[in-house]
Amino acid sequence: MRWDRAASAGLLGRLLAILLLTLAIEFIASTILYERSSRALIRDDEAHRLAEHLVIARKLVSEQAWPERPAMAQRLTTDRYDVHWAGATDLTPVRPLERGEAFQRVLEWEPSLKDSDLRVELAAVGRQAQLFGALRLRDGTWLRFRAMEPIDDGQPGWHRILIALLPATLLLIVGTLLFRHTLRPMGMLARAAERVGRASELSLPEAGPPEVRRVIRAFNAMHGRIQRLIAERTQALAAVGHDLRTPLARLQLRSDAITDPAARRDFGRDVAEMEAMVESLLAYLGGEADPEPPVRTDVAVMVATLCDAHADQDEDVAYVGDDHLEAACRPSGLKRAVSNLIENALHYGHRARVSVRGEGDTLTIRVDDDGPGIAVDRLEDALQPFVRLDPARGRNTQGLGLGLAIVQRAAEAEGGRLVFENRAEGGLRVDLVMPLR
Amino acid sequence: MTAPVILLVEDDPALRTLTTRSLQESGYVVRPCATGAEMWRSLEVGPVDLVLLDIMLPGTNGIDLCRALRAESEVPIIFISAKGSETDRVVGLELGADDYLAKPFGARELIARVRAVLRRIGAEGRRADRDSGIVTFDGFTLSLPRRELLSPSGGIVELTGAEFDLLTALIDNAQRVIARERLIELSRTRMGDSSDRSVDVLISRLRRKLSSAGHEAPIITVRGVGYMLNTEVTRR
Repeated sequence: MRWDRAASAGLLGRLLAILLLTLAIEFIASTILYERSSRALIRDDEAHRLAEHLVIARKLVSEQAWPERPAMAQRLTTDRYDVHWAGATDLTPVRPLERGEAFQRVLEWEPSLKDSDLRVELAAVGRQAQLFGALRLRDGTWLRFRAMEPIDDGQPGWHRILIALLPATLLLIVGTLLFRHTLRPMGMLARAAERVGRASELSLPEAGPPEVRRVIRAFNAMHGRIQRLIAERTQALAAVGHDLRTPLARLQLRSDAITDPAARRDFGRDVAEMEAMVESLLAYLGGEADPEPPVRTDVAVMVATLCDAHADQDEDVAYVGDDHLEAACRPSGLKRAVSNLIENALHYGHRARVSVRGEGDTLTIRVDDDGPGIAVDRLEDALQPFVRLDPARGRNTQGLGLGLAIVQRAAEAEGGRLVFENRAEGGLRVDLVMPLR
Repeated sequence: MTAPVILLVEDDPALRTLTTRSLQESGYVVRPCATGAEMWRSLEVGPVDLVLLDIMLPGTNGIDLCRALRAESEVPIIFISAKGSETDRVVGLELGADDYLAKPFGARELIARVRAVLRRIGAEGRRADRDSGIVTFDGFTLSLPRRELLSPSGGIVELTGAEFDLLTALIDNAQRVIARERLIELSRTRMGDSSDRSVDVLISRLRRKLSSAGHEAPIITVRGVGYMLNTEVTRR
């Protein structure tokens, strides 16, 4: 049961993991691509603007007389670029500037700057990059410039990632719901499979994708085959059991011809035992095929009558419960169950104390014996059909070992259960607890 | 008095022979038949005192035969059932059979049932009111054909064969004292239900079954004589 559930959760989990993985790969790949292309776009933009600014600055500064140049440079300084004319005193660049990628781009935009010994460099300032450089005017003086704002070096923007994550999250939620819906027939199938053998009617509606439908169809067909198989076996066994009664009747009538009284008695006992076997086999097999309808019955009187019958055989069976207690039950099945419990009590012990009591909405049929009880680890075995708890198979064992299995079925038919308890004062206590309706 | 004639319908040849022999040894005249058709032919031969009918027959089954037979005759019927299930028993009794015998049965039980039915029918004749056969007393309802007792609140109160016979005897003699000896003899006719059980034990069990909270069963012990059902009985 737990295993099944884990497997079904595992399937959903796996599908979700696949979905998540796909989404993650898609997200990472698109982010990288997007970031890269947008960064390239920004650089192009920057280079374009710088190239234009430099062309204009060179022209305007060159046209001015030397004394006017600083003022012109001042006027050319925008909030984007700081332009500065170094004058005649400083004819060499402060540092040998690299001709990097930015330089190439600027030249691509304005090839006319080629002859001005342009130097552009992106230099790290703190964690950001700053662009600066210089170009030589025709008269050999240098015009220096630098960007006022650090260049965006393309660090991914977290808000952009969050925005990109939103559709992924939505997709994940929708995916989970859809997967769940698709997998629902599987869960139904698992639950139905657990009920095979317990419920007789178990046809699943064919739903879901074609593959799942096929599985459900196969399951329904399989269940049908199993049911038919069980029904055929049951019928065959019941027919055999049934037909055995005629030869048994012959045997019993023939036994009257036996003159030796002891032999006749033993013969009769054997026939009675065989008949008891047939009866318990039919009770065990017939339990489901021919459901007995519930009838309002005085359960206390029924159980007391059973005890009386045993007492009449000089067995130590006594009824100690209420005189009357009416409940809806299946009288034949319940009577056989109680009868089996009393016979078990007498088989493993010598005495049975039987009671019927109602309390609230439960009815308890209790059989106490003075036998050895049942070891806790053998309780499950006791309920298995064809299993006897006697150590020696041959010793005084009667019947087919169906006794408690029949009781268990009868209890289930009444919506009740069996409770075993080893009594402190010795002996076993069996309670058949069922609803009092 | 001539020996009673019993018509036996049983399809199993060996069982038919054995049953016939058992009945003959007890002094009955037996006409064995294997099928329903043979039964009808045999009925034309002469009057019959009792029919022993197996329910599981090839062709027309025993239930249908029982119904057809009851439709035209009041002859006592005991049916033999291999099922022994409660529904079969009730269906058979409701169709008008007088008793039933579950396979496998012994000769003692067979003869006892036959004798009991013959004696009951011979002594009382067929009940004029057997159509319903419902008797009410003290809130209880007793269905004679179904041999079933219902409590005032409608629950089935189980009775053994002997208890049922005892109760019907008390009801038939309601508000009259019945001698213990008469009751002992009545319960003897039912040998299957153990003859050595004392009537007093049966009466005490019956009292417990007919009692209810704070209400005694209406069976009075008349010291030195017998018992009496001290309540009004209504037949429907």
